[in-house]
Amino acid sequence: MKRGMILGCSIGGIVLIIIAILVIWGISAYNNLVTLNETVNQSWSQVENQYQRRADLIPNLVNTVKGYANFERGVLTDVVNARSRVSQMTVTSEVLNDPQAFQRFQQLQGELSNALSRLLVTVENYPELKANENFLQLQAQLEGTENRISVERRKFNETVQTYNTTIKRFPTSMFAGIFGFKVKEYFKSAPGSETPPKVEF
Amino acid sequence: MKLVAAVLFITVSFAQPEIPDIKNWANDFTNTLLQDELQNLNYNLKTYQDTTTNQLVMLMIPTLDDYPLEDFAYETAAKNKIGTKEHDNGALLLIVKNDRKLRIEVGYGLEGALPDALASSIIRNVIVPHFKKNNYYAGITAGIDAIISAIAGEYKADRDSSEEDNGTPGIITLLMIIFFLFTFLFRGKRRRGIGPFIFTGGGWGSSRGSSGGFGGFSGGGGSFGGGGASGSW
Repeated sequence: MKRGMILGCSIGGIVLIIIAILVIWGISAYNNLVTLNETVNQSWSQVENQYQRRADLIPNLVNTVKGYANFERGVLTDVVNARSRVSQMTVTSEVLNDPQAFQRFQQLQGELSNALSRLLVTVENYPELKANENFLQLQAQLEGTENRISVERRKFNETVQTYNTTIKRFPTSMFAGIFGFKVKEYFKSAPGSETPPKVEF
Repeated sequence: MKLVAAVLFITVSFAQPEIPDIKNWANDFTNTLLQDELQNLNYNLKTYQDTTTNQLVMLMIPTLDDYPLEDFAYETAAKNKIGTKEHDNGALLLIVKNDRKLRIEVGYGLEGALPDALASSIIRNVIVPHFKKNNYYAGITAGIDAIISAIAGEYKADRDSSEEDNGTPGIITLLMIIFFLFTFLFRGKRRRGIGPFIFTGGGWGSSRGSSGGFGGFSGGGGSFGGGGASGSW
Protein backbone atom coordinates (compact mmCIF):
# COMPACT_ATOMS: atom_id res chain seq x y z
CA MET A 1 0.00 0.00 0.00
CA LYS A 2 2.63 2.48 1.10
CA ARG A 3 4.91 1.26 -1.62
CA GLY A 4 2.21 1.80 -4.27
CA MET A 5 1.62 5.35 -3.10
CA ILE A 6 5.31 6.23 -3.22
CA LEU A 7 5.54 4.77 -6.71
CA GLY A 8 2.42 6.65 -7.83
CA CYS A 9 3.66 9.90 -6.38
CA SER A 10 7.05 9.63 -7.98
CA ILE A 11 5.57 8.79 -11.39
CA GLY A 12 3.20 11.72 -11.04
CA GLY A 13 6.10 13.92 -10.01
CA ILE A 14 8.16 12.91 -12.99
CA VAL A 15 5.24 13.52 -15.33
CA LEU A 16 4.74 16.96 -13.79
CA ILE A 17 8.41 17.78 -14.16
CA ILE A 18 8.35 16.69 -17.80
CA ILE A 19 5.29 18.82 -18.45
CA ALA A 20 6.91 21.76 -16.73
CA ILE A 21 10.04 21.35 -18.83
CA LEU A 22 7.98 21.14 -22.01
CA VAL A 23 6.05 24.27 -21.09
CA ILE A 24 9.18 26.25 -20.28
CA TRP A 25 10.80 24.97 -23.44
CA GLY A 26 7.73 25.89 -25.45
CA ILE A 27 7.68 29.38 -24.02
CA SER A 28 11.29 30.02 -24.80
CA ALA A 29 10.90 28.59 -28.31
CA TYR A 30 7.87 30.79 -28.82
CA ASN A 31 9.66 33.90 -27.59
CA ASN A 32 12.59 33.14 -29.81
CA LEU A 33 10.27 32.80 -32.81
CA VAL A 34 8.58 36.07 -31.98
CA THR A 35 11.94 37.80 -31.85
CA LEU A 36 13.04 36.30 -35.14
CA ASN A 37 9.74 37.18 -36.75
CA GLU A 38 10.17 40.77 -35.63
CA THR A 39 13.69 40.86 -37.03
CA VAL A 40 12.36 39.73 -40.38
CA ASN A 41 9.62 42.39 -40.27
CA GLN A 42 12.14 45.02 -39.40
CA SER A 43 14.48 44.14 -42.23
CA TRP A 44 11.46 44.04 -44.51
CA SER A 45 10.58 47.59 -43.61
CA GLN A 46 14.13 48.62 -44.49
CA VAL A 47 13.68 47.02 -47.91
CA GLU A 48 10.37 48.79 -48.34
CA ASN A 49 11.86 52.14 -47.29
CA GLN A 50 14.48 51.90 -49.96
CA TYR A 51 11.96 50.96 -52.64
CA GLN A 52 9.84 53.89 -51.55
CA ARG A 53 12.84 56.15 -51.70
CA ARG A 54 13.47 55.05 -55.24
CA ALA A 55 9.88 55.70 -56.23
CA ASP A 56 10.16 59.17 -54.71
CA LEU A 57 13.21 60.00 -56.78
CA ILE A 58 11.58 59.16 -60.09
CA PRO A 59 9.40 62.25 -60.69
CA ASN A 60 12.46 64.45 -60.30
CA LEU A 61 14.47 62.33 -62.65
CA VAL A 62 11.73 62.24 -65.25
CA ASN A 63 11.35 66.01 -65.11
CA THR A 64 15.04 66.62 -65.56
CA VAL A 65 15.29 64.27 -68.48
CA LYS A 66 12.07 65.43 -70.12
CA GLY A 67 13.53 68.88 -70.64
CA TYR A 68 15.96 67.53 -73.19
CA ALA A 69 14.77 67.84 -76.73
CA ASN A 70 13.59 64.69 -78.44
CA PHE A 71 14.54 62.42 -75.57
CA GLU A 72 13.02 59.02 -76.31
CA ARG A 73 9.45 59.28 -75.04
CA GLY A 74 8.93 55.53 -74.91
CA VAL A 75 11.69 55.02 -72.38
CA LEU A 76 10.25 57.72 -70.15
CA THR A 77 6.67 56.46 -70.34
CA ASP A 78 7.86 52.98 -69.41
CA VAL A 79 9.43 54.36 -66.26
CA VAL A 80 6.38 56.41 -65.36
CA ASN A 81 4.03 53.48 -65.93
CA ALA A 82 6.15 51.00 -64.03
CA ARG A 83 6.33 53.44 -61.15
CA SER A 84 2.59 53.98 -60.98
CA ARG A 85 2.03 50.21 -60.99
CA VAL A 86 4.45 49.89 -58.09
CA SER A 87 2.81 52.60 -56.05
CA GLN A 88 -0.65 51.18 -56.61
CA MET A 89 0.30 48.09 -54.72
CA THR A 90 -0.19 48.59 -51.02
CA VAL A 91 2.43 46.74 -49.12
CA THR A 92 2.51 45.77 -45.49
CA SER A 93 4.50 43.11 -43.73
CA GLU A 94 1.49 40.85 -44.38
CA VAL A 95 3.00 40.34 -47.81
CA LEU A 96 5.64 38.18 -46.16
CA ASN A 97 3.09 35.51 -45.32
CA ASP A 98 1.56 35.55 -48.77
CA PRO A 99 3.92 34.05 -51.37
CA GLN A 100 1.81 35.25 -54.29
CA ALA A 101 1.68 38.86 -53.17
CA PHE A 102 5.37 38.70 -52.41
CA GLN A 103 6.14 37.51 -55.92
CA ARG A 104 3.94 40.17 -57.42
CA PHE A 105 5.77 42.81 -55.40
CA GLN A 106 9.08 41.47 -56.64
CA GLN A 107 7.89 41.37 -60.21
CA LEU A 108 6.60 44.95 -60.22
CA GLN A 109 9.75 46.30 -58.60
CA GLY A 110 11.81 44.30 -61.08
CA GLU A 111 9.95 45.88 -63.99
CA LEU A 112 10.65 49.30 -62.57
CA SER A 113 14.35 48.41 -62.18
CA ASN A 114 14.47 47.36 -65.81
CA ALA A 115 12.71 50.48 -67.05
CA LEU A 116 15.08 52.64 -65.01
CA SER A 117 18.22 50.97 -66.22
CA ARG A 118 16.99 51.31 -69.81
CA LEU A 119 16.57 55.01 -69.13
CA LEU A 120 20.08 55.32 -67.75
CA VAL A 121 21.54 53.46 -70.71
CA THR A 122 19.66 55.71 -73.14
CA VAL A 123 21.10 58.75 -71.41
CA GLU A 124 24.53 57.72 -72.67
CA ASN A 125 23.41 59.13 -76.03
CA TYR A 126 22.83 62.61 -74.63
CA PRO A 127 26.17 64.22 -73.87
CA GLU A 128 24.62 67.48 -72.61
CA LEU A 129 22.51 65.54 -70.17
CA LYS A 130 25.50 63.62 -68.94
CA ALA A 131 27.32 66.88 -68.30
CA ASN A 132 24.43 68.36 -66.34
CA GLU A 133 25.36 68.48 -62.66
CA ASN A 134 21.72 68.28 -61.63
CA PHE A 135 21.25 65.11 -63.61
CA LEU A 136 24.50 63.63 -62.34
CA GLN A 137 23.36 64.15 -58.78
CA LEU A 138 20.04 62.51 -59.47
CA GLN A 139 21.83 59.64 -61.11
CA ALA A 140 24.08 59.27 -58.06
CA GLN A 141 21.04 59.23 -55.79
CA LEU A 142 19.33 56.67 -57.94
CA GLU A 143 22.38 54.44 -58.12
CA GLY A 144 22.83 54.81 -54.39
CA THR A 145 19.25 53.77 -53.83
CA GLU A 146 19.55 50.78 -56.11
CA ASN A 147 22.61 49.74 -54.17
CA ARG A 148 20.83 50.20 -50.86
CA ILE A 149 17.97 48.11 -52.14
CA SER A 150 20.29 45.28 -52.98
CA VAL A 151 22.04 45.54 -49.61
CA GLU A 152 18.76 45.57 -47.70
CA ARG A 153 17.45 42.68 -49.77
CA ARG A 154 20.52 40.73 -48.91
CA LYS A 155 20.11 41.51 -45.20
CA PHE A 156 16.45 40.58 -45.45
CA ASN A 157 17.32 37.22 -47.00
CA GLU A 158 19.77 36.58 -44.19
CA THR A 159 17.16 37.22 -41.51
CA VAL A 160 14.61 35.09 -43.36
CA GLN A 161 17.14 32.33 -43.57
CA THR A 162 17.69 32.35 -39.81
CA TYR A 163 13.95 32.42 -39.27
CA ASN A 164 13.21 29.62 -41.74
CA THR A 165 15.98 27.42 -40.43
CA THR A 166 14.72 27.87 -36.90
CA ILE A 167 11.12 26.99 -37.60
CA LYS A 168 12.07 23.96 -39.68
CA ARG A 169 14.42 22.57 -37.09
CA PHE A 170 13.34 19.96 -34.61
CA PRO A 171 12.17 20.47 -31.86
CA THR A 172 11.15 24.08 -32.56
CA SER A 173 9.32 22.84 -35.66
CA MET A 174 6.66 21.30 -33.39
CA PHE A 175 5.90 24.60 -31.71
CA ALA A 176 6.19 26.64 -34.88
CA GLY A 177 3.30 24.68 -36.39
CA ILE A 178 1.15 25.07 -33.30
CA PHE A 179 1.75 28.81 -33.02
CA GLY A 180 1.23 29.42 -36.72
CA PHE A 181 4.72 30.49 -37.77
CA LYS A 182 5.04 29.84 -41.50
CA VAL A 183 8.01 29.63 -43.79
CA LYS A 184 8.72 32.98 -45.45
CA GLU A 185 9.77 33.77 -49.00
CA TYR A 186 13.20 34.95 -50.06
CA PHE A 187 14.03 37.61 -52.60
CA LYS A 188 15.24 35.93 -55.73
CA SER A 189 17.20 37.74 -58.34
CA ALA A 190 14.88 37.97 -61.31
CA PRO A 191 16.03 36.14 -64.44
CA GLY A 192 17.90 38.61 -66.59
CA SER A 193 18.42 41.16 -63.85
CA GLU A 194 22.13 40.37 -63.66
CA THR A 195 22.72 41.39 -67.24
CA PRO A 196 22.20 45.03 -68.11
CA PRO A 197 19.51 45.64 -70.72
CA LYS A 198 20.53 46.25 -74.29
CA VAL A 199 19.11 49.24 -76.07
CA GLU A 200 18.81 49.29 -79.83
CA PHE A 201 19.07 52.54 -81.70
CA MET B 1 25.71 27.29 -76.72
CA LYS B 2 24.43 30.56 -75.46
CA LEU B 3 23.14 28.89 -72.34
CA VAL B 4 26.49 27.28 -71.67
CA ALA B 5 28.20 30.60 -72.14
CA ALA B 6 25.73 32.23 -69.80
CA VAL B 7 26.27 29.59 -67.14
CA LEU B 8 30.01 29.93 -67.46
CA PHE B 9 29.76 33.66 -67.21
CA ILE B 10 27.67 33.43 -64.07
CA THR B 11 30.11 31.09 -62.35
CA VAL B 12 32.99 33.35 -63.27
CA SER B 13 31.29 36.49 -62.13
CA PHE B 14 30.48 34.87 -58.80
CA ALA B 15 34.08 34.02 -58.03
CA GLN B 16 34.31 35.86 -54.79
CA PRO B 17 37.41 37.82 -53.93
CA GLU B 18 38.79 37.56 -50.48
CA ILE B 19 37.54 40.34 -48.24
CA PRO B 20 40.56 41.87 -46.52
CA ASP B 21 40.92 42.30 -42.79
CA ILE B 22 41.71 45.94 -42.33
CA LYS B 23 44.46 46.69 -39.84
CA ASN B 24 45.23 50.29 -40.70
CA TRP B 25 43.40 53.45 -41.56
CA ALA B 26 45.26 53.74 -44.85
CA ASN B 27 45.95 50.55 -46.78
CA ASP B 28 47.71 50.32 -50.09
CA PHE B 29 48.03 46.90 -51.67
CA THR B 30 49.26 48.29 -54.96
CA ASN B 31 52.54 49.78 -53.74
CA THR B 32 51.60 53.10 -55.25
CA LEU B 33 51.94 55.41 -52.28
CA LEU B 34 55.24 56.16 -50.64
CA GLN B 35 55.87 54.98 -47.13
CA ASP B 36 55.80 58.57 -45.87
CA GLU B 37 52.52 59.28 -47.57
CA LEU B 38 50.93 56.21 -46.03
CA GLN B 39 52.26 57.15 -42.64
CA ASN B 40 50.84 60.63 -42.97
CA LEU B 41 47.44 59.35 -43.99
CA ASN B 42 47.42 56.85 -41.17
CA TYR B 43 48.44 59.41 -38.63
CA ASN B 44 45.84 61.90 -39.80
CA LEU B 45 43.01 59.42 -39.94
CA LYS B 46 43.90 58.00 -36.54
CA THR B 47 44.01 61.47 -35.01
CA TYR B 48 40.74 62.27 -36.69
CA GLN B 49 39.16 59.19 -35.17
CA ASP B 50 40.51 60.05 -31.73
CA THR B 51 38.85 63.45 -31.80
CA THR B 52 35.57 62.61 -33.50
CA THR B 53 35.12 58.80 -33.22
CA ASN B 54 34.46 58.85 -36.99
CA GLN B 55 36.34 56.02 -38.64
CA LEU B 56 37.55 56.73 -42.15
CA VAL B 57 39.44 54.02 -43.99
CA MET B 58 41.27 54.20 -47.28
CA LEU B 59 41.85 50.97 -49.16
CA MET B 60 43.65 50.77 -52.48
CA ILE B 61 43.78 47.42 -54.30
CA PRO B 62 44.96 46.40 -57.75
CA THR B 63 41.91 44.80 -59.34
CA LEU B 64 38.56 43.14 -58.71
CA ASP B 65 38.41 41.47 -62.10
CA ASP B 66 34.69 41.38 -62.77
CA TYR B 67 33.49 41.28 -59.22
CA PRO B 68 31.07 44.17 -58.59
CA LEU B 69 32.72 47.15 -56.94
CA GLU B 70 29.64 47.92 -54.83
CA ASP B 71 29.49 44.41 -53.41
CA PHE B 72 33.15 44.38 -52.56
CA ALA B 73 32.99 47.80 -50.90
CA TYR B 74 29.96 46.87 -48.84
CA GLU B 75 31.39 43.51 -47.82
CA THR B 76 34.72 45.02 -46.82
CA ALA B 77 33.12 47.81 -44.82
CA ALA B 78 30.60 45.52 -43.16
CA LYS B 79 33.07 42.77 -42.34
CA ASN B 80 35.51 45.18 -40.75
CA LYS B 81 32.72 47.01 -38.96
CA ILE B 82 34.11 50.44 -39.69
CA GLY B 83 32.57 53.10 -37.46
CA THR B 84 31.32 52.90 -33.91
CA LYS B 85 28.52 50.58 -32.93
CA GLU B 86 26.75 53.48 -31.33
CA HIS B 87 26.76 55.88 -34.29
CA ASP B 88 27.58 53.73 -37.35
CA ASN B 89 29.87 56.58 -38.30
CA GLY B 90 32.31 54.89 -40.64
CA ALA B 91 33.23 55.44 -44.25
CA LEU B 92 35.44 53.58 -46.69
CA LEU B 93 37.27 55.08 -49.63
CA LEU B 94 37.95 52.16 -51.94
CA ILE B 95 40.22 52.59 -54.94
CA VAL B 96 40.66 49.82 -57.49
CA LYS B 97 43.68 51.11 -59.28
CA ASN B 98 43.99 48.97 -62.40
CA ASP B 99 40.23 48.90 -62.97
CA ARG B 100 40.27 52.71 -62.64
CA LYS B 101 37.24 52.64 -60.38
CA LEU B 102 36.59 53.99 -56.94
CA ARG B 103 33.83 54.11 -54.40
CA ILE B 104 32.98 55.92 -51.20
CA GLU B 105 30.97 53.62 -48.96
CA VAL B 106 29.13 55.50 -46.24
CA GLY B 107 27.95 54.05 -42.93
CA TYR B 108 24.35 54.48 -41.80
CA GLY B 109 25.24 57.21 -39.33
CA LEU B 110 26.96 59.43 -41.89
CA GLU B 111 24.42 59.11 -44.69
CA GLY B 112 22.74 62.32 -43.58
CA ALA B 113 25.89 64.41 -43.69
CA LEU B 114 27.37 62.67 -46.68
CA PRO B 115 24.51 61.76 -49.01
CA ASP B 116 25.08 59.86 -52.24
CA ALA B 117 24.94 62.96 -54.42
CA LEU B 118 27.66 64.64 -52.36
CA ALA B 119 29.81 61.51 -52.31
CA SER B 120 29.43 61.32 -56.07
CA SER B 121 30.36 64.96 -56.44
CA ILE B 122 33.47 64.47 -54.27
CA ILE B 123 34.50 61.58 -56.49
CA ARG B 124 33.89 63.39 -59.77
CA ASN B 125 35.03 66.88 -58.90
CA VAL B 126 37.64 66.39 -56.19
CA ILE B 127 39.32 63.01 -56.53
CA VAL B 128 39.09 62.01 -60.19
CA PRO B 129 40.85 65.09 -61.63
CA HIS B 130 43.95 64.16 -59.59
CA PHE B 131 43.72 60.48 -60.47
CA LYS B 132 43.55 61.33 -64.16
CA LYS B 133 46.97 62.90 -63.78
CA ASN B 134 48.18 59.86 -61.81
CA ASN B 135 48.39 61.94 -58.66
CA TYR B 136 47.04 59.31 -56.34
CA TYR B 137 48.23 60.77 -53.09
CA ALA B 138 46.87 64.22 -53.95
CA GLY B 139 43.54 62.73 -54.98
CA ILE B 140 43.24 60.67 -51.83
CA THR B 141 44.12 63.49 -49.45
CA ALA B 142 41.81 65.92 -51.25
CA GLY B 143 39.03 63.36 -51.17
CA ILE B 144 39.50 62.63 -47.49
CA ASP B 145 39.57 66.34 -46.69
CA ALA B 146 36.32 66.79 -48.58
CA ILE B 147 34.71 63.88 -46.73
CA ILE B 148 35.92 65.27 -43.41
CA SER B 149 34.53 68.71 -44.10
CA ALA B 150 31.21 67.18 -45.17
CA ILE B 151 30.83 65.24 -41.95
CA ALA B 152 32.35 67.91 -39.69
CA GLY B 153 30.52 68.34 -36.45
CA GLU B 154 28.48 65.21 -36.86
CA TYR B 155 29.97 63.36 -33.90
CA LYS B 156 32.47 64.15 -31.18
CA ALA B 157 34.58 61.94 -28.99
CA ASP B 158 33.63 62.24 -25.37
CA ARG B 159 36.50 62.00 -22.96
CA ASP B 160 35.40 58.83 -21.22
CA SER B 161 35.17 56.67 -24.25
CA SER B 162 38.52 57.75 -25.60
CA GLU B 163 40.14 56.99 -22.27
CA GLU B 164 38.54 53.59 -22.31
CA ASP B 165 39.92 53.05 -25.76
CA ASN B 166 43.40 53.81 -24.57
CA GLY B 167 43.16 51.57 -21.55
CA THR B 168 43.11 48.07 -23.00
CA PRO B 169 44.49 47.80 -26.48
CA GLY B 170 48.04 46.53 -25.78
CA ILE B 171 47.55 42.80 -25.43
CA ILE B 172 44.53 42.58 -27.68
CA THR B 173 46.28 44.33 -30.52
CA LEU B 174 49.31 42.14 -30.07
CA LEU B 175 47.19 39.00 -30.16
CA MET B 176 45.38 40.22 -33.21
CA ILE B 177 48.60 40.96 -35.01
CA ILE B 178 49.99 37.51 -34.17
CA PHE B 179 46.76 35.94 -35.35
CA PHE B 180 46.87 38.00 -38.51
CA LEU B 181 50.43 36.95 -39.27
CA PHE B 182 49.61 33.30 -38.73
CA THR B 183 46.56 33.41 -40.93
CA PHE B 184 48.53 34.95 -43.70
CA LEU B 185 51.44 32.54 -43.47
CA PHE B 186 49.02 29.66 -43.55
CA ARG B 187 46.93 31.12 -46.29
CA GLY B 188 49.94 31.88 -48.43
CA LYS B 189 50.90 28.22 -48.42
CA ARG B 190 47.45 26.91 -49.03
CA ARG B 191 46.31 29.23 -51.75
CA ARG B 192 49.32 29.36 -53.97
CA GLY B 193 48.79 27.52 -57.21
CA ILE B 194 45.16 26.72 -56.73
CA GLY B 195 44.50 29.08 -59.58
CA PRO B 196 40.91 30.26 -59.79
CA PHE B 197 41.21 32.61 -56.87
CA ILE B 198 40.90 36.10 -58.14
CA PHE B 199 43.92 37.51 -56.41
CA THR B 200 46.97 35.50 -57.24
CA GLY B 201 49.77 35.08 -54.79
CA GLY B 202 49.00 34.75 -51.15
CA GLY B 203 46.66 37.66 -50.91
CA TRP B 204 47.80 41.24 -50.85
CA GLY B 205 49.09 40.92 -47.34
CA SER B 206 52.35 39.59 -48.67
CA SER B 207 53.17 42.76 -50.53
CA ARG B 208 54.30 45.79 -48.62
CA GLY B 209 50.66 46.49 -48.04
CA SER B 210 49.37 48.02 -44.92
CA SER B 211 51.01 51.10 -43.62
CA GLY B 212 54.13 52.51 -42.30
CA GLY B 213 54.31 52.16 -38.58
CA PHE B 214 52.22 49.87 -36.50
CA GLY B 215 48.60 49.36 -37.36
CA GLY B 216 46.13 49.33 -34.57
CA PHE B 217 43.03 50.06 -36.52
CA SER B 218 40.09 48.04 -35.42
CA GLY B 219 36.50 48.45 -36.45
CA GLY B 220 34.19 49.74 -33.78
CA GLY B 221 31.10 47.78 -34.79
CA GLY B 222 29.57 50.16 -37.31
CA SER B 223 27.13 48.92 -39.89
CA PHE B 224 26.44 49.85 -43.48
CA GLY B 225 23.41 49.95 -45.71
CA GLY B 226 24.92 50.45 -49.11
CA GLY B 227 25.04 54.24 -49.04
CA GLY B 228 27.67 56.14 -50.98
CA ALA B 229 28.66 56.54 -54.58
CA SER B 230 30.93 55.03 -57.20
CA GLY B 231 32.94 56.54 -59.98
CA SER B 232 35.71 55.91 -62.45
CA TRP B 233 38.53 57.79 -64.09
